[in-house]
Amino acid sequence: MSNDNVIEVKNLTMEYSTRKGNVSAVDNVSFSIKRGQALGLVGESGCGKTSIAKSLLKLLPDNAMIQQGQIVLNGKDMVPLSETEMRTHRWSEISMVFQAAMNAFNPVYTVGDQIIEAIETHLPKVTEAEGRAKIETLFRMVGLAPEMMDRYPHEYSGGMRQRAVIAMALSCDPDIIIADEPTTALDVIVQDSILKEITALQENLNMSMVYISHDVAVIAEVSDRVGVMYAGRMVELADTEEIFIRPIHPYTYALMQSFPSVTGPKKELISLPGEPPDLLHPPKGCRFHPRCPNRIEQCDQEQPEWKDYGNNHFCACWNPMEVN
Amino acid sequence: MTSNTSNSGAQTSSVWKARWALFRKSAAANWALFAENPVGLIGLGIIMFFFLLVIMHPILLNTVWDPNIYNPINGFDPQSPVNPSPPSLRHLLGTAPQGQDILSQLMFSARNEFILAVLAAVVTVTIATTLGAVAAYYGGIVDNIIMRVVDLVIMVPALSILIVISGLFELSIVQLAIVIGIISAFSASTVVIKSQALSIKVKPYIEAARVAGGGDFHIIFRHLLPNLMPIALLYMMFAVTGAIFSEAVLAFLGLLEVDMSWGIMLNTTRTLGYMLDFNTKWYLIFPAGLSITLLSSAFYLVGRALDEIVNPRLRQR
Amino acid sequence: MWSYIGKRVFQMLITLVLFQIATYILIDLQPGDVTDLFVGNPNITAAERQRIAADLGLDGPLYERMWNYLTNFYTGNLGVSMVQYPRPVGEILAQRLPRTLALFVYATVFSFWFGYVAGKFLAWKRGGRWEYATTIVGVTLYTIFTPLLGYILLWGFATKLDKWVRNTFGIDFDLPVSKFSSTSLWRKAPYDTNTVFNWMNLNFIILVVIVLLAFFLSRYVPRNRREFLRVASMTVPFALSLVWWIFFSGVGIYAWDLVIHLFLPILTLTLISFGGNMLLTRTSMLETLREDYIETARAKGLPEKIIRNRHAARNAILPVWTALVFSLSSTISGGIITETVFSWPGIGEILVDSVSNSDFPVAMGALTVIGVMTLVAHLIVDIGYAFLDPRIRVH
Repeated sequence: MSNDNVIEVKNLTMEYSTRKGNVSAVDNVSFSIKRGQALGLVGESGCGKTSIAKSLLKLLPDNAMIQQGQIVLNGKDMVPLSETEMRTHRWSEISMVFQAAMNAFNPVYTVGDQIIEAIETHLPKVTEAEGRAKIETLFRMVGLAPEMMDRYPHEYSGGMRQRAVIAMALSCDPDIIIADEPTTALDVIVQDSILKEITALQENLNMSMVYISHDVAVIAEVSDRVGVMYAGRMVELADTEEIFIRPIHPYTYALMQSFPSVTGPKKELISLPGEPPDLLHPPKGCRFHPRCPNRIEQCDQEQPEWKDYGNNHFCACWNPMEVN
Repeated sequence: MTSNTSNSGAQTSSVWKARWALFRKSAAANWALFAENPVGLIGLGIIMFFFLLVIMHPILLNTVWDPNIYNPINGFDPQSPVNPSPPSLRHLLGTAPQGQDILSQLMFSARNEFILAVLAAVVTVTIATTLGAVAAYYGGIVDNIIMRVVDLVIMVPALSILIVISGLFELSIVQLAIVIGIISAFSASTVVIKSQALSIKVKPYIEAARVAGGGDFHIIFRHLLPNLMPIALLYMMFAVTGAIFSEAVLAFLGLLEVDMSWGIMLNTTRTLGYMLDFNTKWYLIFPAGLSITLLSSAFYLVGRALDEIVNPRLRQR
Repeated sequence: MWSYIGKRVFQMLITLVLFQIATYILIDLQPGDVTDLFVGNPNITAAERQRIAADLGLDGPLYERMWNYLTNFYTGNLGVSMVQYPRPVGEILAQRLPRTLALFVYATVFSFWFGYVAGKFLAWKRGGRWEYATTIVGVTLYTIFTPLLGYILLWGFATKLDKWVRNTFGIDFDLPVSKFSSTSLWRKAPYDTNTVFNWMNLNFIILVVIVLLAFFLSRYVPRNRREFLRVASMTVPFALSLVWWIFFSGVGIYAWDLVIHLFLPILTLTLISFGGNMLLTRTSMLETLREDYIETARAKGLPEKIIRNRHAARNAILPVWTALVFSLSSTISGGIITETVFSWPGIGEILVDSVSNSDFPVAMGALTVIGVMTLVAHLIVDIGYAFLDPRIRVH
């Protein structure tokens, strides 16, 4: 892997310990993101997308533990860092746009105050006036009136709040931004305009991004590269066009088929039978095998290898879809 | 459940059987939840301990204890002419300034506390659930009137009213229980029960009952009230805590004409000026004072444990 | 905002009148009247008694007597005490009101503040022996029989601690066990007790206002001086006023006498309300810590202290503040008990006293004053909530 990678995740494994046993939420996941690149993580709910996002920021609940692996951010491994050391890297290098933007702001402070707070913490030399000027620029960038910064979160509409969350994520000039289903709670029209804004910002500011969604169409729109998650594991990783043209893993294939395409030719939607496995007792071998149409004997015995299929296309499958 | 009351007897009994089975099942599940919580078990243990004292008292008076000596109200022991006397084998907790056995007083008073507690709790819950359900169901002017009265009562410290009432009228334990019950009904319990009733009122089965032709009365008593019972039970426990506390304070201030209670015991100690002799006369202060504290906190603890069952979001994960 | 306050004041007045009507009817339910005192007197015939009753306005119908009572009340005439005849009720209550008010305000402020701070730290450092111990202490203080706590404190401070101080340091501390002031000391005093006491209260209010102002103004001060300004506002004026009382006021010794008399009642009442406030803040804080904006604050890389104080505790205070509506009444009830236990002459003590002596004009006056106190306290809590929660403030 080359050195222009902003973040490199190697063999990341994260578990939650619960009363009933350990839940392996993220199992042996590796990927890397170059400067200015957007990686989309796609998968059904509960497949470990959000767990990865929280692991990257090390924003984990008390019962979660990173068992092994490395998260190398700008050349430095984050995993062994203490909470206090980690704090200096958050937001200034890696920031996040949250899933539930409705409650991402503290209701008793103005939005501007909550953004200034982050700037004060990470850029102590910036004065209050400079901070406010910066927020004004950010607000204009995300399409908000600058005077909104002195308003309280309850005076914002849902879409405005999401824009403000994006402005806040950009406030300390991070190298990489994690967007965790930022548009899920919004109505379709607002969704679309925010999606466009995120893409534009990410390209203009030459930022890297991890975009998490269960919606294949959204992922296709924003990301340069796509990682497909299933039950805590990454099953396929390739450039966006490549993966849409040539899906290798049967799950990726099923996922592509289960979403309609407005512009493309009419096709029958295929829905995948069954449900994702219980991560307390994940199935042996490939975790997808109980639902897989291409299952062979090997599948329930051994974990498939992470293989390179050329053209920067990786997949873990014993019996891949026809590779042409 | 059917709203048709013209069922045959056999059918009705089978409905009740099913209900009983359901009740037993949910009771067992709730008990399992309750038993998980040490706080509630401690409270229940204390309540059972005091209940044991209540049961033991008449038995002791008829067997081991000479009723003349151990009478809680006017007993006197010729063998210990100097009173108050510290604990001894004959008087396990010593004797009161007028010569009664303190343990006997304590046990006898416990009975009064339970009568008071149960009565006040029943009065509170009956009034509060009815008011809450009616206010939520009818809304509008009925709701407005009930809530304004509740506001009025919440705003005034209950104790000051109780002091004036007990100064004006000589209240018995039963009357006092009713007064305390009424005052504590018009308070937080009605407000909370009403908000609970409001959330039940919009449930589909209420709509279904109305479509099936159920009258207001039927819906309130058959559908609304049963679902309010858990939260009412919770407020029952807090009402008991308040009732025991208020009775003790009034008796302690010398405003209550009951024959014997923990508050009266403390009042005697106070009026005779023994309150500051902790080193020598602790047995005049602690048994009664601790009993009041323990029993009222026991009901509070049970209430808190029930709170965690009724409000699942409080449960620890 | 102002229309809201106006509306609330109007509501409050209606509530007060309703309350007075209710208490009047309650007292009227009692059989007989004042002239029953003359029943055994052979010099006063039944006709004479009727004439006295008519003179006193006791023979009219209920509504007429009630109207008289209410109009008298709102023109400042609260009647005359029967036990301390002919002292006006208004005068008796006016003498005691500042004391009860001070006891109530100090105990509420202290218990709220300490309960809030303790609950905040408890929720932050979850688990372990500390949590068990403090929960037990909290529940004990919340449910303990108020007089028992009062007497335990009396014994601990006025007996045990006094003896220990005398034996160890050779100082006669002599913490008083009852009353508002030492009569022998005040005989030579240049002012009466209430004058000095009111100066002290005024001083306290000024200190509080300075701290509040400093916290408000600290927003407009450069970041690195904020902490300094806040700490200074809490310490410097306090030290200055201490110096003034000791060296320049000339009544330092009298003020000290009032303070040591006030100490135990305030401590008792504070401890009683403290338990509930601490437990509630803890629960509320635990709920708040699960909110999304706490995770946002963590993700922003804010220091733990700022997450705890600025984000979690600031929101956790809202339900505790709302619960003040219920706990105010119980603090006032606790105040009545505390005053009686320490024979501390306030409104609560005179209420119990007058009821025991059937001095109903005084009892009625005291009850009304307590009612007004609670109503005003509620109003202040409501307005305070609007300042704490911007979601309410705007509308």
